[in-house]
Amino acid sequence: MEILWLSLSAALAVAIPAIATAWAQSRIGPATAAALAEKPELSATAVILVAIPETMVILGFVVAVLIMLRAGG
Amino acid sequence: MIRPMAKVRIMGPKAELSAVLDALQQLAILHLALPRQREGLSIEPSSPRSERRRRQLSAALQRADLAMKALEVPARPLSSEGAAVVESEGTTALCRAVRTAYRVSRKARGLVERIGSLEEEGQLLRKYRDLFDVFGDVLASQQRWVNAAGFEVIIRATDDDHLKRLRAALQAEIGDSFELKWKRLPSGDIALLILVPESLRSRIEQWMKSTDLEEIALPEGYEERGLAEAIPAMSERLREVEAQLLSLAEERRRLASSEGPRLRQARASLSQRIERLDALAASGRTEHAFVIDGWVPSEWVQRLKSHLKLRTSSSVTVAELGRESWKSENAPVVLSNPRIFRPFEAIVRLLPLPRYGSIDPTPFVAVFFPMFFGLILGDLGYGAMLALLALLLWRGSERESLRRSIAEMIGACSLFTLIFGALYGELFGDLGHRWLGLRPLWFDRSEAVLPFLGLALALGLVHILLGLSLGVVTAFQRSRKEALGKGVAILMVTLIVVALLAMFEILPRAFFVPAVVILLIAFPVLVVTEGLLAPIELLATVGNVLSYARVMALGTASVMLAVVANRMVGSLGSVAVGALFALLFHLVNFALGLFSPTIHALRLHYVEFFGKFYSPGGTRYQPFGGSAGGGMINR
Repeated sequence: MEILWLSLSAALAVAIPAIATAWAQSRIGPATAAALAEKPELSATAVILVAIPETMVILGFVVAVLIMLRAGG
Repeated sequence: MIRPMAKVRIMGPKAELSAVLDALQQLAILHLALPRQREGLSIEPSSPRSERRRRQLSAALQRADLAMKALEVPARPLSSEGAAVVESEGTTALCRAVRTAYRVSRKARGLVERIGSLEEEGQLLRKYRDLFDVFGDVLASQQRWVNAAGFEVIIRATDDDHLKRLRAALQAEIGDSFELKWKRLPSGDIALLILVPESLRSRIEQWMKSTDLEEIALPEGYEERGLAEAIPAMSERLREVEAQLLSLAEERRRLASSEGPRLRQARASLSQRIERLDALAASGRTEHAFVIDGWVPSEWVQRLKSHLKLRTSSSVTVAELGRESWKSENAPVVLSNPRIFRPFEAIVRLLPLPRYGSIDPTPFVAVFFPMFFGLILGDLGYGAMLALLALLLWRGSERESLRRSIAEMIGACSLFTLIFGALYGELFGDLGHRWLGLRPLWFDRSEAVLPFLGLALALGLVHILLGLSLGVVTAFQRSRKEALGKGVAILMVTLIVVALLAMFEILPRAFFVPAVVILLIAFPVLVVTEGLLAPIELLATVGNVLSYARVMALGTASVMLAVVANRMVGSLGSVAVGALFALLFHLVNFALGLFSPTIHALRLHYVEFFGKFYSPGGTRYQPFGGSAGGGMINR
């Protein structure tokens, strides 16, 4: 039973931040595209802005890996 | 590094101003600055006449740019001979440049408009091309009918029953007095010709309205003719349009090759003259003398002095101003790095330039960017593909071009990818291990996930501490108190890490208590030196270190995707199909492997690393006379 809960936790640890990241990027993407159309020199800022929410899903993935390692152990 | 600059002041009799400006423009190393207004020294506002002249020249320059764009003339700098010709030009030559800009831009605009309108017409006619093919045969039957009316329609038919239903509906309306010719279009729709006796024309028109069937709309100029006549005419016109477009493209090539050099010369003359007017406006004048202030790279001050001595009279003097008389933030910035680091200046240039006197991060980016990239992708196969891509980009690229810089950056990334690929023992994931018995020299990151995470965080800690140390150096130039605060922050970050490692018994547990005690002592020092927000910044810094976990996350994802690609060979039944899917999957993984590590390595630099020390807001070094491609730096 414990393995089931651990697997579910790992899945949620990735899934919830992934949805959050997708939502954040769906807002940031069009805004940065519009900003770049007017000011192409903001490309570095655009990269940063789009990459910032990805931290959530990446850390979610790390947490999921740690949970799965516990499940394996 | 940022090249050291010197501020110089050139003074002389007013009558010499023109000769001095000529000499400065030819040398093209002085970045002009407005001299400080003092008693008796004035910066004369531009006269309406010179304002008007500047506007006219700018308009001509704009025309020259438009013409160069329309004729696709590359805007490369003039050769040294060409630049010399520009420098020696007088008013007549300038008038010639203005005339050339207007004349060629007129011709180019006419050509571009004609090409645009023909392309538009061609596109419209090409939309009917399928109809030409289909209705060409169908309409042949219309020729044989006397006193007949033809209706051409397109119907979206998903099945042949649709046509049967239409025939039945037509039969119900007018009996058997019709003929139906049809052919399927490449798009899947059906082109239909309904032939009926002329006497039934109005009835069929009414019926079509009630069934939502619409006759094919012909383009403007062909509506009156009917499809039977229009199709051959449109086909003929399309052939004419295509021939005319070819001849216009040839005309554009001829114009570009005959007028291109003159246009480049004209552009250089115009931009130099505009620069000259701006320089004149930036020079300070007294009743009898002039003053020009500007910046020049320190090692070129002597060169400037010798050049002016040669080209002007002895009454013109060049003085280097003392460091105490100017502020760092006003000095222009030239990034100057060793050849091996120079391609990575492109990454720094994506942000506003660093301020003069602060630190140019290019050498650090040149080391850490490809290292993070290699840590993430780390695969001998992908590294080799990357090296090949770098080689392809490098070949045919011009020196100092962006393409050359990108090729060299990819080359460095491929080198680190190969190194880490050997350390991880990866060749297209686990293919090297399965086929060639390849073993990791360091660790297998698909198995040793926790050590990989530890490595990523340790590297992150080193990177962040380096950033904080550079921040101390930058802060030291402004205020010692600020530098002390940043130093304490470095100490506290290190102690937090030591305490955590001791708590988890990675370091001896004996380290824990001393680390916490020193942390408690350092905390008030941090608040006093850096302010109340400093503890929050400290937490953010610890968060920054955790952000490097992405190196492990992306790296693990990359190797897992490669392993999944390899598993496809055996799991899809057919080996050939499996191999094809595996190849496709590896290609997708390679594309992801190019994009994802780049974005994340950039982010780690821009957000986590630069945030600790980078001071943006530097002014770009733009030497007077550099616009035509002359000048020391460009030469």
